[in-house]
Amino acid sequence: MSLVETSEAAPRRARFPWIVVFLSRRAAWALITLAIYLMVVFVFIQVWVPFNFATPALQGGIEAYRAALESLGLDRPLSERLFEFVGGLIRGDLGTSFTGQPVWDLISDTAPVTIFVFAVGALLAFVAGEAMGRFGAWHRHPVTGSALSTIGVLFTTIFPPFLVFLIAFFLRDPFWELREAIGLPVDSLDVWRDAAVEQNEVLLLMSLAFLGAVVAGVLVRTWAHRQRARWVAAMAIPVTIIAAAAGIWLAGFGVEAIDLLYRSDISQTVATGSPLLVLVGVVLITFGQVMFIMRVGIEDQRNEDYVLTARAKGLAESAVRDRHVARNALAPTIAGSFLALPTVIAGMVIIEFGLEVRGLSWAFFNAVETQDIPTIMGVLVILGVMGILLRVAADVAIAHLDPRLRRT
Amino acid sequence: MPVATIPRRKARRVRLVSNAKFVSGVALVIFFILVVAAHPIFRATIWDGEFTVYDPFIGYDTQVVHPAGPSADHWLGTDSLGRDVVSMFTFSARYSVAVALSAGLATAVVCLVLGSIAAYRRGWVDSVVTHVSDAMVFLPALLAVYIIGVGSDLRAFSALDVGITFGFLYGLGPATATVRAAALSVMERPFIDAARLAGAGMGRTVTRHLLPHLVPHAAVQAMIGVAGAVTAEAFLAFRSGVGANIGFGYLVFEGLTWGELFAGVLDTPWWVMITGAAGITLLAGAFYLIGVGLREIFDPHSLDPRRVD
Repeated sequence: MSLVETSEAAPRRARFPWIVVFLSRRAAWALITLAIYLMVVFVFIQVWVPFNFATPALQGGIEAYRAALESLGLDRPLSERLFEFVGGLIRGDLGTSFTGQPVWDLISDTAPVTIFVFAVGALLAFVAGEAMGRFGAWHRHPVTGSALSTIGVLFTTIFPPFLVFLIAFFLRDPFWELREAIGLPVDSLDVWRDAAVEQNEVLLLMSLAFLGAVVAGVLVRTWAHRQRARWVAAMAIPVTIIAAAAGIWLAGFGVEAIDLLYRSDISQTVATGSPLLVLVGVVLITFGQVMFIMRVGIEDQRNEDYVLTARAKGLAESAVRDRHVARNALAPTIAGSFLALPTVIAGMVIIEFGLEVRGLSWAFFNAVETQDIPTIMGVLVILGVMGILLRVAADVAIAHLDPRLRRT
Repeated sequence: MPVATIPRRKARRVRLVSNAKFVSGVALVIFFILVVAAHPIFRATIWDGEFTVYDPFIGYDTQVVHPAGPSADHWLGTDSLGRDVVSMFTFSARYSVAVALSAGLATAVVCLVLGSIAAYRRGWVDSVVTHVSDAMVFLPALLAVYIIGVGSDLRAFSALDVGITFGFLYGLGPATATVRAAALSVMERPFIDAARLAGAGMGRTVTRHLLPHLVPHAAVQAMIGVAGAVTAEAFLAFRSGVGANIGFGYLVFEGLTWGELFAGVLDTPWWVMITGAAGITLLAGAFYLIGVGLREIFDPHSLDPRRVD
């Protein structure tokens, strides 16, 4: 947070809108953090983990082993490998997998579904956990409160492979029956035969449309609150999300979008798993952590003087809760939820792999089993970039909530 | 608002005992310690002389068809190889508890040392610690431990190693970030200045005046880290799937694969799988509950970006 300290030295005139200054500072932070993260990944994989991809070649004698080391580039000194790694990253090149395929191709093939699950799932889980924490802590109902706590703990600490089993066992069949009920062809090839778009494009578009709809909804809601337009405020987020869905439908690939919720990759002959079920899993393992953090925030704020003032001027209890207490508790909840990120990413990777979705986790587990160093590093780099981007977005959200934080 | 008449420290102790999450977490941990103790006790009493039936590795009951559901002889049934599930469960618990202890200690040590040094020295030390912990948040310790586990001989990477590695990685990330922020606010308090004026050096100030205030914060982080470590160890046992090193995760693996390979999902030996999954969730949940309970009482402000440092 050294950026914070330097910025407090001189009060500056508002030459730019706060968002520009804020974003450029956070971008600088993100670059430094990314650089350190890359170093950590490099040291971890190349120095700490005793991988030895060339071991199988030992059977062909020491000469074959040396030849294998040389062809994989493992015989060169560490500094040289570091230069190549960093240099490649600057050029946007993640290296070549030991199988001969460029890592970037492998990742750009598999990443969109993971991005979709991660972005949409994290957001939904945050919304669900925030709401549960708010109601659970504010009303202090003994039964509801402890029921929410129990469910939250159980799902937070559930063994991810077991959750995979539960989802496959209880949700998969009803989910496929729903597909027949809405009249979608069971065979994905029927859907995609005449499609003009790539499935990865549709997945990215769906993620962007959803996130954009939420951001637009939040902005409209804030504006409507200021205008005292209560109904507009309440309807803002649902309406923007429905509008985004309608937009996708009107653009002509609604059927494809729905099909993608069932199958992550139609080019595979085997029926691969459903991204929507992975999303359900991600929400289930994440919401509890957000809920507990939100509860601490609510409990912390409820005895503040402004609550008394708000009640004294006759505000409805729900308005005190939502507009005053929850709004103050939200910033620490967003910041605190980031500490749960390692658990969420790890859980997401396991669930995605278990449900047989061909996302980043598929590339990751294959690479680990075959000790394919460049691919492992590539996947870790992409996961890190996704996390850092989410962090910057959350920082903007916190600053949007609390003008005091905009200076930092 | 009534004026508080009991001292703050005592009031916190009272609130801790009346915090349902903390109390149920502690109760669950005690339960698991009893489970670990149960294995040798059962071996010496009710399973005495029946080594071939109740051994967690090679036991086999010739009287029933395996896998068999719960019965009077086998309270939680037997697995597909004929081993008693209670015996396997009580035996596996020792690995998970060992992971929990080592991970908790490693997390606490790492975040206390780095957090207090960063807050005391400030300057470049602080910014290095902060940036590294910011970056480490994005490296999931579970995946890292899994990579190490696959890359090394599984017998050489024991439960204790899993715990220490996980604790170290988790401690460098989220734990250090939180404890450092708490340490900064303690360093602003007047008694630190008083200690310095009285001539205390870095060692004395940190150990006598700074660390005692950081212990609750580190405890919260250690407990939440332990919950992840238990899952990580179970995941390693799940993925490696060899009977040589049984653990809770192995029980889940066995139940699932038996169901997939030899029968339909409906015929999954659910008692094996549920026992393993319940073991993981209850043990991890116990530490998570303790962590959440401690956080509610000792550092409700720790997550607030607006706190005055």
